[in-house]
Amino acid sequence: MAGRILGMISCNYNDDSFGQLTAVRSVASMPFGGRYRLLDFALSNMVNSGIRTIGVVTPYQYRSILDHVGAGKEWSLDRKHGGLFLLPGSIYGPKGAHCSFMLRDIIKNMPFLERAKSDTILICGSSKVFNMDFRSMFAAHEAAGGGITMLYKKVNEATAKDALYLELEGDMVKSMTRETIGEANCFMDCFLIDRKLLLDFIDWYQTFSHIDMTEIMSENLENLPIHAYPFEGYLGQVNNISDYMRCSQDLLRLEVRQELFGGDAKIRTKIEDNPPAKYSAQAEVRNSLVPTGCVIEGTVENSILFRGVHVGPGAVVRNSVIMSKCIIQPDALLENVICDKFVKIGSGNKLSGTEARPLVIAKNSDI
Amino acid sequence: MRKKECIAMLLAGGQGSRLGALTSKIAKPAVAFGGKYRIIDFSLSNCVNSNIDTVGVLIQYRPLMLNSYLGTGAPWDLDEQEGGVFVLPPYATQEGGAWYSGTADSVLKNIDFIDSYNPEYVLIISGDHLYTMDYNRMLEFHKQNQAELTVSVIEVPLEEASRFGIITADPTGRIVKFSEKPAQPDSTLASMGIYIFDWPVLRSALQADAANEESEHDFGKNVIPMLLAQRRRLFAYAFSGYWRDVGTIDSYYEANMALLDGNCEFDIFSNNANIYSNANIFPPHYVGEQAVVQNSLVCNGCTVLGEVRNSILSTEAYVGPGAKVEDSILLPGARVESGARVMRAIVGERAVVEVNAYFGSQDKEQPIAVVGDNEHVADDLWSGRY
Repeated sequence: MAGRILGMISCNYNDDSFGQLTAVRSVASMPFGGRYRLLDFALSNMVNSGIRTIGVVTPYQYRSILDHVGAGKEWSLDRKHGGLFLLPGSIYGPKGAHCSFMLRDIIKNMPFLERAKSDTILICGSSKVFNMDFRSMFAAHEAAGGGITMLYKKVNEATAKDALYLELEGDMVKSMTRETIGEANCFMDCFLIDRKLLLDFIDWYQTFSHIDMTEIMSENLENLPIHAYPFEGYLGQVNNISDYMRCSQDLLRLEVRQELFGGDAKIRTKIEDNPPAKYSAQAEVRNSLVPTGCVIEGTVENSILFRGVHVGPGAVVRNSVIMSKCIIQPDALLENVICDKFVKIGSGNKLSGTEARPLVIAKNSDI
Repeated sequence: MRKKECIAMLLAGGQGSRLGALTSKIAKPAVAFGGKYRIIDFSLSNCVNSNIDTVGVLIQYRPLMLNSYLGTGAPWDLDEQEGGVFVLPPYATQEGGAWYSGTADSVLKNIDFIDSYNPEYVLIISGDHLYTMDYNRMLEFHKQNQAELTVSVIEVPLEEASRFGIITADPTGRIVKFSEKPAQPDSTLASMGIYIFDWPVLRSALQADAANEESEHDFGKNVIPMLLAQRRRLFAYAFSGYWRDVGTIDSYYEANMALLDGNCEFDIFSNNANIYSNANIFPPHYVGEQAVVQNSLVCNGCTVLGEVRNSILSTEAYVGPGAKVEDSILLPGARVESGARVMRAIVGERAVVEVNAYFGSQDKEQPIAVVGDNEHVADDLWSGRY
């Protein structure tokens, strides 16, 4: 079954609520969890579910995505048949419009769809953090007779406007809204659609190509068989800076780590050949994630470090996310800070944000 | 096939019997080292960093791990269209089959492989040495001297010299004497087991050696002395820098522990070290609320909930709450369960030191404790070590 599914990942959207973090990159290529990028989750989930042909719709700022996925080697997607296809997005993906699946991105890449021998297409966004085997969802989609199957998770604390929520009757979608608070069914930016139906969408809406595919679904709820499929596991929602911080901190919980990284279905990412992390005799590290390539001579608490970070003697890093190749010089103090890549914090500098509003330090800053 | 200037033959068939439990299931080149590497990574990385893109890996003893580890060679960028990494086991022919009976014999049996690249030079290296070296410099030296064989040599202490092939060279570097493991060494220049041959010279020497029924078919014992006796142009290339043959548990342990020293001669940490390995995909390691990690190396996939001091934790190692690991090496997937204590010990791959068990000893007079791959150390109340 999975072999007959075509995967498509939309990266062609961006969001200003990440401030400096998305100034030079798309949300999809945002570094996450010490060595990953957000896109890794969607891409690895598809590969781990047996999908062998995946198109990635690139965003306007695509340099970091191309750098990261390359020929798809780490995901075993450098294939003779199928494999990874980098698909150009239509220029200027929507920013902050909660549009993830522009119809014109599909129209622009029609040959990819036309040549595929698959009857079903799995379309997925690139900013949700979860580890899932899609095969049970494929089975449900087939059992329901096809059409569209939307993936959702029941959440307790929905906040208005940060996602699309589904109102269900049985397993059928009755309506969709962004205005919900409290308990709700959060759409996970991921759905299965019959290829024929997708081609119909294009036929019907070609002239309004700016439309998001979820809007098409919403408008045609009466006429289309739109099913919903529940996801029970951990879902990390990264919609803005404080979400990003909260989600990163979630990784310090054993059960979250276990679910995302502990099973046989590994989240894959670009490999860098770094030496093991080195701790000095003075190092004090508690409740933190540390990847290879780091050198720790100071104190690190409740934090997520990325590859190649150097924490100097006497420096303290608390409740922070420190991205690749940052240098924290001796006696500096960071609290509730997100350091983008290649940041240098000078000796004795003290920087802090708050839990609700972490301080973001832009890429390459020298402070 | 396109002609290559120089290809490498990497000898990885040896057992490394003095490493005991560490090589009971895998060949010595496949033994884990320095947390995320296997010993063969260093020679392979040297090849790639010296722009040698064709490497024949000669295997014989327990090759499964080496085979699966090398794969397509992609982790070392050796998945080449023209060249790459080739695993070369002994094979059967119409006349029957035989094991590789010595280092020279293993290369002899792969003459067809080397011929297919028609190289000018063949580099012979070992898969079980720790060093970083640019083979290009040695090749330059070989060409400048119009040598037929160049042997890389390193200065060793006189008292250790009888463990090595010892070379005496004249002031121009030309080798005048070669004695394999001499009882009374008269020089401190030791052969590192790294050779560059002119391929036609090596080819005919291997065939001549094969015809000699008294030969043990070993480069050091037979082939080099034979070429020397023929007054061929043999040169010694002086290498200075870190080089170790970790033949014993003690030397393996010491070479690992030396990595913790800030002034370690073997620099795997600098930005231009470029040592590649086939590391699996694991998340960053987690250090728990009550954990202590000091003066240690820790790899991806590890979970540290207890105390770790002066130790090396390889990929996916686990140290449970209340456990203590000191002056020890945990190999990939090793587990030290809660309350257990490990001192001056090597815990094999996926081996388990069970809850509250006690393994090793702080006594520096005691030998390093070793538990082999997949084995368990149980909590033994009656061992009298409490």
